Amino acid sequence: MVVVIDTEKCGNITDCPVEGLCTKICEQGALVEEDGQLVLHAEKCDDCDLCIQNCPNQAISKA
Amino acid sequence: MTTIERNGGDKRSLEYLSDKCVGCGICTEICPTESLKLGPVLPIARGLVDMDYLNVNEKTCVLCGLCASSCPFEAFEFKINDENIKNLEAYPNWKHSASIDDEECLYCKACETACPQDAITIKRQLPDRSKLVTGEINIDKDECIYCGICEEMCPPEAITLTVKDQMERDIKVDEDKCVYCLVCKRACPVDAIKAVCSSCSYGDYRINPEDAKITGRSILQEDLCVNCGWCQEICPVDAAKVTKPFEGEVIMDTTECKGDSCHACVDVCPCNAASIVDNKSIIEEKFCILCGACSNVCPQNCITIKRDKMNLENVRSKSWQNKLSELIEGK
Repeated sequence: MVVVIDTEKCGNITDCPVEGLCTKICEQGALVEEDGQLVLHAEKCDDCDLCIQNCPNQAISKA
Repeated sequence: MTTIERNGGDKRSLEYLSDKCVGCGICTEICPTESLKLGPVLPIARGLVDMDYLNVNEKTCVLCGLCASSCPFEAFEFKINDENIKNLEAYPNWKHSASIDDEECLYCKACETACPQDAITIKRQLPDRSKLVTGEINIDKDECIYCGICEEMCPPEAITLTVKDQMERDIKVDEDKCVYCLVCKRACPVDAIKAVCSSCSYGDYRINPEDAKITGRSILQEDLCVNCGWCQEICPVDAAKVTKPFEGEVIMDTTECKGDSCHACVDVCPCNAASIVDNKSIIEEKFCILCGACSNVCPQNCITIKRDKMNLENVRSKSWQNKLSELIEGK
């Protein structure tokens, strides 16, 4: 299982109230900022769900 | 920091003290008007977001004071006619406490080191070291050739040799540093060092117990203390006594726990009671105050807090009792 990002809700890095909180809270490197864009490396996700729980836009959910 | 003030028959004011709040959410569970909401506790605890743990809705708060009475961290100040309700007879009071008995305390500082809130300071005065040494070293300056061998070999660096020229030279033993180990005497190539033994050998029978006395005092800052019990557990002589705000247990189901990659429980625990061992969360009940902060932030819902008793006394109002009992039924 891996997470999915709802691009409608996600503010990406620039429009996130915390400028990419998920990238800061994910310690697996599964959600990272690359060239100002939010990138998901699904193979690194270990389903800790911290991103789901803490996303200020509720844009992340289980696949 | 939020302050609400309103004047009806009484002047009532509620102040939220954000620096005392740990984000446990107890107040949000019992607020009758749902005026209190937790912010993103984990990102705040990790320093990723700069805001208060709690949001107080000033428009809906009815200034009942239940939050202030039930917060085990005393993160609210609720006043009626400028008097804190903690001092009012009609309002509940917590029986949680922590104390260190200076009569029993050895001033070892174990509690000071262990306290997760840095609430304990131990001040101690140590005995005069020279009084605890059982002998005295004298250097016969007529015999001494000022070679400096003793100075070089002295383990506590108690010997100082000063040689300005061949006529002006001196050697001194600092009695406060000397431990009477006799290395200098044995090393001296000309036998210039005389040891005067006051008790013969290293026996302790000539030492006056008064000279060995360690005095001090402990300072426990109650406003920082969360009554977690670390001091009580770690004290070697049972000088620290702690009464926790709640009694009960922590029920763990770590099947889904992600351990090291999550560690949300560790980051929010105000008591250093949570740790990750073998990639699974462990909550040490003896240090846990059952505040529930970890339970709220765990994304896998691995932690259940079961409170059996709340050490809050003098809850006179029936409706308050009903509301507070919600905290006791497990979460």
